[in-house]
Amino acid sequence: MSRTDYLIRRISWALVTILFVTTLNFFLFRVLPGDPAKAGIRDPRLNRAQQEAIRVRFGLDKPLVIGPLSNPFDSQLVRYFGLLVRGDLGISYNSNRPVAEVLRERLINTVILVLSGNLIAIVIGVGLGVLAAWRRGTGIDVTALIFSLCTWALPTFFLGIILLIVGSSYLGLPVGGMRTSGQQYASFGAEVADVGRHLLMPTLVLVIILLGQFMLIMRSALLDVLGEDYILTAKAKGLTDGRILRDHAMRNAMLPVITLIALTLGFTVSGSILIEAVFSWPGLGSAIFEAVNRRDYPMLQGAFLLITISVVLANTAADLLYTALDPRVKAA
Amino acid sequence: MPRNGTRHALTFFLLLMSFVSACGAPQAGAPGTAPTTAVDQPTASSAQATAAPADVQPTDAQPTPAPASGGSILRVARTAAPDSLNPGAQYIVESGDITALVYDSLIISDQFLKPQPQLATEWKNDAESKVWTFTLHENAKWHDGQPVTAEDAAFTWNLIKNYSAFGLIKVYTDGLVSAKAPDAKTLVLTFDAPVANSVERFSAVPILPKHIWSQFPDEKSATEFENKEMIGSGPFKLAEYKAGEFTRLTAVKDHYLEPPQIDEIIFKVYQNDDATVQALKIGEVDLIAPLPTAVRALKSEPNVTIVVGQALTLADIIINTTSKENCPPEKGKCTGHPALQDVRVRQAMAHAVDKQQLIDVMRLGLGTPGLSLVMPGHGEAYNSSLQDYAFDVAKGNQILDQAGYMDTNGDGVREMPNDPSKPLSFRFSWPSDQITDGARFAELLRDMWKQIGIEIVPQGLQNEALTSICCPAFDFDIIRWGWSAGADPSSLLNVVTTDQIPTGNSETGYSNPEIDALYKEQGATTDPAKRKELLWKMQEILLRDVPYIIPWYAQSVAAYRKDRFQGWIDDPNGLLFVYARQSFVKVTPVK
Repeated sequence: MSRTDYLIRRISWALVTILFVTTLNFFLFRVLPGDPAKAGIRDPRLNRAQQEAIRVRFGLDKPLVIGPLSNPFDSQLVRYFGLLVRGDLGISYNSNRPVAEVLRERLINTVILVLSGNLIAIVIGVGLGVLAAWRRGTGIDVTALIFSLCTWALPTFFLGIILLIVGSSYLGLPVGGMRTSGQQYASFGAEVADVGRHLLMPTLVLVIILLGQFMLIMRSALLDVLGEDYILTAKAKGLTDGRILRDHAMRNAMLPVITLIALTLGFTVSGSILIEAVFSWPGLGSAIFEAVNRRDYPMLQGAFLLITISVVLANTAADLLYTALDPRVKAA
Repeated sequence: MPRNGTRHALTFFLLLMSFVSACGAPQAGAPGTAPTTAVDQPTASSAQATAAPADVQPTDAQPTPAPASGGSILRVARTAAPDSLNPGAQYIVESGDITALVYDSLIISDQFLKPQPQLATEWKNDAESKVWTFTLHENAKWHDGQPVTAEDAAFTWNLIKNYSAFGLIKVYTDGLVSAKAPDAKTLVLTFDAPVANSVERFSAVPILPKHIWSQFPDEKSATEFENKEMIGSGPFKLAEYKAGEFTRLTAVKDHYLEPPQIDEIIFKVYQNDDATVQALKIGEVDLIAPLPTAVRALKSEPNVTIVVGQALTLADIIINTTSKENCPPEKGKCTGHPALQDVRVRQAMAHAVDKQQLIDVMRLGLGTPGLSLVMPGHGEAYNSSLQDYAFDVAKGNQILDQAGYMDTNGDGVREMPNDPSKPLSFRFSWPSDQITDGARFAELLRDMWKQIGIEIVPQGLQNEALTSICCPAFDFDIIRWGWSAGADPSSLLNVVTTDQIPTGNSETGYSNPEIDALYKEQGATTDPAKRKELLWKMQEILLRDVPYIIPWYAQSVAAYRKDRFQGWIDDPNGLLFVYARQSFVKVTPVK
């Protein structure tokens, strides 16, 4: 099979997956118990007629898949795809604003936080993993291993709240949010500095929580490879350590790490619910959490569509990277 | 391809995780969970308050950066953002806060639930209390400079009446026959029945500017209107709204009523309660509503004042008393334990609940033992003459013995008189995402009822799952939940009327023609003394019949920085009013 065929096949699979997940999402959220017309609101003032009116406004009075005999297309599913094709994600039940607008705002906030945390964690984690594997059994290895296992096992929420107290009580950092509310910035630089101050602690938590897994996977993948005969051969040929590591070991050992990196980056857009909750970061994670609580179907559909696209893209990218790293993949 | 297989498994796992964590994330994030419901719980996640170093001094080196306008800015912490700026799409209390500051109503209620003038300088009603005439303030102006006229007020009442789902305020226009403006400053509202809850009704409906809202021809467009400008006539106007981050209001310095003393208010959103406590400690905000668990830690702060006041919030133990005849035909399952339909069993259970212990453990003392659905915060309408069931285990046992519920097999649990195979073992649930310490409550209750030979089987359920078994399905025995009431003493009483059993508002399935008649009568009785008599009677019956056991009426707590602002309304005899509009208008910066 040629490389082009492979590419076409991969990309069309990606599109089919997105379509499938989009449909699945539509049903998934509607299977949840609870009624968007009153989710989270228990108030004697919200009577039955009002709930019915809210349902009509949201279009929830319409049948799920197939409409009435007179107009089989007047159903929630058809309406949803009809809007989607036109690029309209609908109006959030909860915040009464267009979903696309809310997602855009939240996405930017989340990407700032999660991407910076991820990238730092990947660089440190992978570096540490290589170091530990190469110096296997030494003090460096043991220390790095224990450190990674501990940070990996740390509950995010706990670490977050501890660092929040330390940061705000002793280091003069803000308690939460993304910028000082109501602040008028003199320049773009001032705004960046303010956001940076708010970003410091949540990023630190994210890095600490994430780096363990990169370190562990990198280390074990590299150890596997280092035990192979061809590494022994390379050593016997008298190659330098750096050369063995770079040209012979790393290239193979990177495969599982690339998978993990691609997936982690793919999930960047879903944010980090726990960290966003602790640091009151107005990101997508907290928006999704809120939407689940309020059965905000359009918001959930929009957010999960975004996550789906992002994960599928990252996966496809990983597939393509595989072919570059490992020629055997193409043949499969 | 093993690697690919692993990868797909990993992808699936991560997707699953992200969904699971979205559904089951801890309470701390819970921004959208039922703010109108009584969730007055000290939460498990409040450990931070006690974990925080007690001697942390508020640092003046950092935060509280220079005010944007150079004036005084009051910063208020909230744990949720407003759900909308449009009063027709607002359902949570965080939105109500902002609407109350930006819009005026005809009248306003003070901390003793007495009416005070607002947009209306005076008002009168006819002998039947069906026709209400309001004289509007001469100088009232919209934030865009146009005058507020009676035409605006009449338009608003008509608009809300005609739209079937216009937020939670729609209900206040029920029964409106006409809203007319005979001249620019006179508003006449005519109702089809006497208006008894006039204070709540006329203070709850914000008056909207006709020149803005008349551009929406139908309900859909009016409720989908984002109202980003939020033109009102209140003492504060919307300056900046960042969804999920903060809402900034600036003072209307030439306001026709009492212009605010401060320049700005910022409502800042924190996604968990612990963060608000920390923000108050370091001076990032000036006012918070802490959980009871945080109170002790805050008491040691030199610059923080803690105020405790009455709240219109209660915790309740809901008992499924639904009879076969009243089971809702469509959605009812009505699987309640038959013993619970026996009022003697319910009275025995009430005798065996040590309310003070529940208050001390669950609320750290911040509550008062409850009686029924009207609270001390409702003032004179609260029946203070009633005597609660004494905590008396022997008495409880005696009642059950006399009623024939005996423990015939000696396992410590009584059985039904005519059916020894059916023990008095009740399912007990609570909304685990709202009441995070529900399991602790269940343990205490289990130990209390064990002493009278009654067993409960606790199971925490997600809010929505609980709603689906609760009402109108009545597929439960006992539920621990709660309510927040409106200003009118009758605002919760409709949940015990027979009419509400099929609608889902009745949680107990309780049905008593006498209560139904009294409820109807009080709703049409405008003489305060007569109405009080009816409401007192209702409370007496409810206490006697025990559809609910009310463990406590919650007290509210607010904490503010005394080094920043002063002049709060914190009258210990009234409702907690620190968060009310009157306080925000009155406070002045500390020099």
